[in-house]
Amino acid sequence: MSMKAESMLSNRRQAIFQTLSMGAFALPAISAFADAPTSSGRMVLVFLRGAYDGLSMLVPHGDERYSQIRPNIGIPKPDGSSKTALALDATFGLHPACAPLLPLWQQGVLAAIPCAGSPDASRSHFDAQYHWETGKPGSSSPSSGWLNVLSGMVGNGHGHHALGVGESSPRILSGPRPVQLVGNGLSATRAGTLAESKTREAVLQLYAGNEKMANAMMEGASNRMSTAASLKAPSMASSNELQAANNGAGSPQGLSLDAKHLGTLMQQNRELRLGFLSSGGWDTHINQGNVTGLLANNLNNLANSLIQLRAAFNEPNDVVIVASEFGRTCAENGTRGTDHGHGNVMWLLGNRVQGGKWHGRWEGLAQNQLNEGRDLPVHHDFRGVFAQALVASLGLTKGSIANVFPGFQWDASLDGIFKA
Amino acid sequence: MKQKTNFNGSKPWVLVLGFCLLLGLVGCAQSPVSKTISAIESSNFEPKGPVAEWRAINRLTYGPTPSLLAELKSNAQPKEWALNQLDAARKASLEAPKLPSDLASINDSLPLIFDGARSEREARAAVPAGTRLNELVANERRFNFQEPSEALFYNRTQVNKAIAWRLASCSSDDVEQPLLARMTEFWFNHFNVYQLKGSVRPFAGHYAIHVARAHALGKFEDLVLASAKHPAMLYYLDQWLSVSPQPGRAGQSSRGLNENYARELMELHTLGVHGGYTQDDVRELARVLTGWTVSPRSEDGFQFVMRLHESGNKTIMGQSIPSSAQFTGVKEGEQAIRFLANHPSTAQRISLRLAEYFVADLPPQALVDQMAKTFLATGGDIYQVMKVMLSHAAFWDPENKLYRTPYDFACASLRVLNVPQDRTKWLQAFGYSFVAGQGIQNWQTPDGYAFNASTWFTPEALTRRIDFALTIARNAPERSDLYPYLSDATTKAVMKQPPQQRMGFVLGSSELVFK
Repeated sequence: MSMKAESMLSNRRQAIFQTLSMGAFALPAISAFADAPTSSGRMVLVFLRGAYDGLSMLVPHGDERYSQIRPNIGIPKPDGSSKTALALDATFGLHPACAPLLPLWQQGVLAAIPCAGSPDASRSHFDAQYHWETGKPGSSSPSSGWLNVLSGMVGNGHGHHALGVGESSPRILSGPRPVQLVGNGLSATRAGTLAESKTREAVLQLYAGNEKMANAMMEGASNRMSTAASLKAPSMASSNELQAANNGAGSPQGLSLDAKHLGTLMQQNRELRLGFLSSGGWDTHINQGNVTGLLANNLNNLANSLIQLRAAFNEPNDVVIVASEFGRTCAENGTRGTDHGHGNVMWLLGNRVQGGKWHGRWEGLAQNQLNEGRDLPVHHDFRGVFAQALVASLGLTKGSIANVFPGFQWDASLDGIFKA
Repeated sequence: MKQKTNFNGSKPWVLVLGFCLLLGLVGCAQSPVSKTISAIESSNFEPKGPVAEWRAINRLTYGPTPSLLAELKSNAQPKEWALNQLDAARKASLEAPKLPSDLASINDSLPLIFDGARSEREARAAVPAGTRLNELVANERRFNFQEPSEALFYNRTQVNKAIAWRLASCSSDDVEQPLLARMTEFWFNHFNVYQLKGSVRPFAGHYAIHVARAHALGKFEDLVLASAKHPAMLYYLDQWLSVSPQPGRAGQSSRGLNENYARELMELHTLGVHGGYTQDDVRELARVLTGWTVSPRSEDGFQFVMRLHESGNKTIMGQSIPSSAQFTGVKEGEQAIRFLANHPSTAQRISLRLAEYFVADLPPQALVDQMAKTFLATGGDIYQVMKVMLSHAAFWDPENKLYRTPYDFACASLRVLNVPQDRTKWLQAFGYSFVAGQGIQNWQTPDGYAFNASTWFTPEALTRRIDFALTIARNAPERSDLYPYLSDATTKAVMKQPPQQRMGFVLGSSELVFK
């Protein structure tokens, strides 16, 4: 894109934001954050709904007990072939379906935290997701999502600072501050019936007696047209995209198209500092497979989506974080799958990440080291992981973390997951 | 000032006024004084004309079907019509629902439903390793249930049938009494269960029928008790797993008290978060409820297991609940629930929620107080509380606006287009509601969906609503019976459209986007 085109686009966007800030939905930034953020990085969260099996993605091949408790679904020890785990070090390996991620690990921009999660013991997906999304483990009281809270702390208080692609209204983004929500798959690219000026004009007449509705309609139509226009750039059209879209929304396959849309929109609008993506299909109670199969396919799609995100978020302070509401049982169950567990592996990807290594406590799979003798323990509260990213990537002060995660104390044992 | 002078100069009026204030103004509407001062308070307020008719039909039902609108119009007494709807709804709630025959399995006996869920578990366990279940096929069959469902998809089919029943109920006055359809949505949402939580799935429809609908206009305590004992709720908030943590209980080493249900019972179902309870009360209530669990073999799906029940005396909000003898431990929980259900905080909370749903996002406190007073005076008789609300001028005051939620708008579209049996249209309505963020009976957390404008009236959401309206109504036959209820500006804009486009614009008008 030429300089001129770029500046025209940015003028147009400014105009849209001016319209937005006049709307009833604009809120001022929280004034408590006088300490202005110094770092201009962006943070993207990829949330895997349904509890993905971290022990298949980050394979603890150094632990003899792994193959014993997973006789059918375990990933074999690394032998250098693509039929076994890809060695990261003497303790862990990568699932071979995640081979695209190996170079990122080797470049030192990808890191793992093997035993992270929520301190709350719930094994209910919905409870645990709710806790992750409100940032308040243990509380089921109605609450804003923490990315919504955070969006009021980054940027200048005008326009949108957070973007969600895929879900209609994810809890994590819900709350009083305006956020941009874009439909899943190809629906994001549709400007809708109001893209036609004739229809817009007719609906405007329909709302002639109601200024509030007329304004809302025009603002919504303009948002959708601008999103659709951004996503319809020629570079977006590829056979991959169509294939991904055909496989439907909410699936790991759909994730790669949503990831592409998110990257494009956040590249074009630099006011957007926070991104949210999610995918379902991870609740593998039965027949999850091993080197190949259901879970392997999902992991491969996830890896490809992360490669796309890496391309869009490669500036010095950008970070992409992958997480799930809890982990799965260390041992396989009676139906060649895994049941709801507790701790799980979180991933961080970005130039500031102290990558090429895993961080935090890992005590192996001995039964007495596991939560209730069956699940990975939570050695690191998920809020501690995000807090590190909020400071390193977004430039928040440690003191302001409590506004995002009330009552949470800084976890110093994770210092070092980001380069100084 | 002129009126005041009149009062001062006319002693009898002052006496009447004082008398009216003492009685809360009930029954004083006939006097000229109260006509001028009590537009909000009076129960004898007689709303008339198209504005009142439109309000009644869009708030007490999901929208105007041709026959219902004709009935209301010929009655010409909107308040009387509204009270008749209330009577009809109560009568219908006491009778079995008229389920379309292919949806009947949601109303199977609970043991049969438990069997269905077990069959699915067994069928899935027998699937060979690596097989990818063709979930897509089940998706495509949505709302078409003519063939018997496969064991593999039993739970999913039950969920989809439960959703289909809601669409049938809200769109067709032959299937369901229209106010009862709304009340069922309201109570399901108030005692929300998430139909996609694994074990809840096959029971969601049964729960809607036997909890939300059956007790919709009965005693509130019966509603809470029915919800408390239903497998859907026992599973949803984990009550079935909550057992005494006392040592020496065989086989319970890794289990103990679960406060989840006890907390939501106080916070959401009854008292409200500021209703006057403490964390200790939550824990005591959880102790009281230990032993309440599911029973796959009994008709009501519920059993109380004394072995899992925590013995000892308990105290909830100052109420002593003495330790029970064998087999009567269930009475502790019943006593506690009746106490909570009839608490003044509960009366306020339930009255407020009903007024928010039927009257305004911020309903007048005078209305809520009057409803709460009736709630307490009648032992929580929901019918009587509703009657107070419908008789109150605040219900009829055009200043009290409501924005339709996506679910509401989806149902309204089926009624305005008069397509109660068209399952393709159901699918469109369902899809809109889902994408707009209010999937039918699909809210994950126990607080239920919000129904205020600040949640649902956003710019992008409005454009998607217009998309939906213009799409589902394309080529729909015109309904000239609606035109007298639309503003001049709306009518003018609608009539500018070619006839096959007009219903889309009617549906997208502020008269139907709001209610």
